Amino acid sequence: MTTHEYKVEMTCSGCSGAVTRILTKKLTEPGSSFDVDLENKKVTITSELPADTLTEMLKKCGKEVSYIGVK
Amino acid sequence: LRKRTKTAKISIEGMTCNSCVQTIEHQIGSYTGVESINVSLDNKEATVDYNPELITLDSIKDAIEDMGFDAAINHPSL
Repeated sequence: MTTHEYKVEMTCSGCSGAVTRILTKKLTEPGSSFDVDLENKKVTITSELPADTLTEMLKKCGKEVSYIGVK
Repeated sequence: LRKRTKTAKISIEGMTCNSCVQTIEHQIGSYTGVESINVSLDNKEATVDYNPELITLDSIKDAIEDMGFDAAINHPSL
């Protein structure tokens, strides 16, 4: 398991809610977890999936996503 | 002249501000077959003009759900 950090351009609780819903739906492997931090526009994901796959997942919400790196 | 464009309404839950609205309009509006989309934050509803030969209403709904919002097709009561 690796913990990745992303910057996601979220502006309101609707945006972070959308991100949360996407991750709840798609991040189904046992042991994986995530945290959505609206204030710092940061999303932390612990998963075995490659960083690129997670980036694509986050981009689905239509917001600008940039990869910060491994925590 | 046969008009191929259909208009449908899709209700959307989970939008709280204009940036949500714009993200949906931008994303869904970029799909082939979607001629125009107008999202109302007050009514929690999108009005979509689409060409049913190019895109189905179900795939538009799925695309909105993939973005992290709850969507439901409002079937017109005839």
